[in-house]
Amino acid sequence: MFKLNCLLLQRCSNNVKYAIAIRKESGTVSKEKWDIFAAVCLERKPVITPKLNELEKEYEELSKTIEFERSVKSDFELRHESEVKNLEILKKGGELDVEGMLKQTAQDLKDSWSSEARQFQPADRITDADKKNDGKSLKRKLDKHLVFVTNQTIGKDKFYLLPQGSRQDGETLRQTAERVLKSIVGDELKAQIYSNAPIGFYKYKYPLEVRKENNVVGAKVFIYFARYLKGQLPQKLDYKWLDRMELDKTLPTPYKNSVQQFLIDE
Amino acid sequence: MSINNLVTNLSRLTIKSLPITRWVHSSNPLLFKTTPILLGEPLKKKKRMDPAIVRAREERKKKKLEKAIRKLEKHARKLKPIGECEIPFDLLDTLNERKRSLPALSSEILDKRALLEKRWANYKREQRLIDVQMLDRIQYSQQRALDELRKESEELYQEAIQPDLLLMPYKVEGPVETPPIENYKSPDGDYKDVSKVW
Repeated sequence: MFKLNCLLLQRCSNNVKYAIAIRKESGTVSKEKWDIFAAVCLERKPVITPKLNELEKEYEELSKTIEFERSVKSDFELRHESEVKNLEILKKGGELDVEGMLKQTAQDLKDSWSSEARQFQPADRITDADKKNDGKSLKRKLDKHLVFVTNQTIGKDKFYLLPQGSRQDGETLRQTAERVLKSIVGDELKAQIYSNAPIGFYKYKYPLEVRKENNVVGAKVFIYFARYLKGQLPQKLDYKWLDRMELDKTLPTPYKNSVQQFLIDE
Repeated sequence: MSINNLVTNLSRLTIKSLPITRWVHSSNPLLFKTTPILLGEPLKKKKRMDPAIVRAREERKKKKLEKAIRKLEKHARKLKPIGECEIPFDLLDTLNERKRSLPALSSEILDKRALLEKRWANYKREQRLIDVQMLDRIQYSQQRALDELRKESEELYQEAIQPDLLLMPYKVEGPVETPPIENYKSPDGDYKDVSKVW
């Protein structure tokens, strides 16, 4: 524990150092020109709870038994007990009032209820989309966070990246992010961007010819975080919904690190 | 009254409208002269009240107010009753019947439970530490993005650090045990809310 705490402290102090370094740097005016891009990390929250691990299952069992031990009997249990007693009296040849005989016993009720409950089939936790491994479906991997990526051409190569676009004059970065998202996912899909501030950052340099031609060094991508609310995506689009593992495999390497830095662990 | 006024006005009228005409008499005419009626009368005597009665009345008013204040204060302190927190009397009366007669737990089971509790506490602590680190990592990422933005443009940075007002009525539907069934129709009847309104 001590080790972990130390690590934590180190992490925090790193942040402070970093912030100070940035202050100093910002004093000098940068002559390099960079394109400003806004990207949106659109995420779907898990629909169902993740599976419990061994320890969690064990502890769940324990807390259930402890709760039972501490509880007192309910009206229904009392009724059941008295009915059992009455039955015994009847077997021994005792007399009982007819009223008690005609009623449905507690055991009968319990049986009918449990048979009714057995008839209900909850939906499967593994969906058709999981079986087909359909990367486009929102119904896949219901217990995971899914991130939206689209196929994009950067230079000559194609990558699966977060939807991104360059900033136009007169726009705030948030407006750019909203415009970019809408232009890619269409009007049907509803998503909410969280906060006016970007959550992640990535920069890359253009190839030398382009740099000389446009007098621009590269692009700075500011990533906004958005949450999927409802709606469907246009079918023509080449996109994927990926969980953390798949994201790790799909995204190009330096970009991946920037994205993973602000994503919640699973 | 009105006639009186009329007469007064008329008398003045005659004075004003009197042109220099021929007089039969050598002296000025006497004309009518009236004075306005004051309609005054001696003031009525104020009824004298018994000071004891006055005091009693004021006292009664004061008491009434005080009572209202006390009532308000009493209600202000009283919270909404929570059904689950108040044990009904019939349950309290039959408490002895309701107790379960379970066999006492062996020391083995108790040991096992204690160990599980310890393992659980450890597990939760580790989870917590990982969470804190994760939050720190995310914060770091955001701070880096903001700093880079500031380097590019102070204006954009100022826009970015504004609070997001759209976020505020915030609603989340949490993860559930099994996924919702599509087009599922609930077999039971209408939903009726029977909770009391306080």
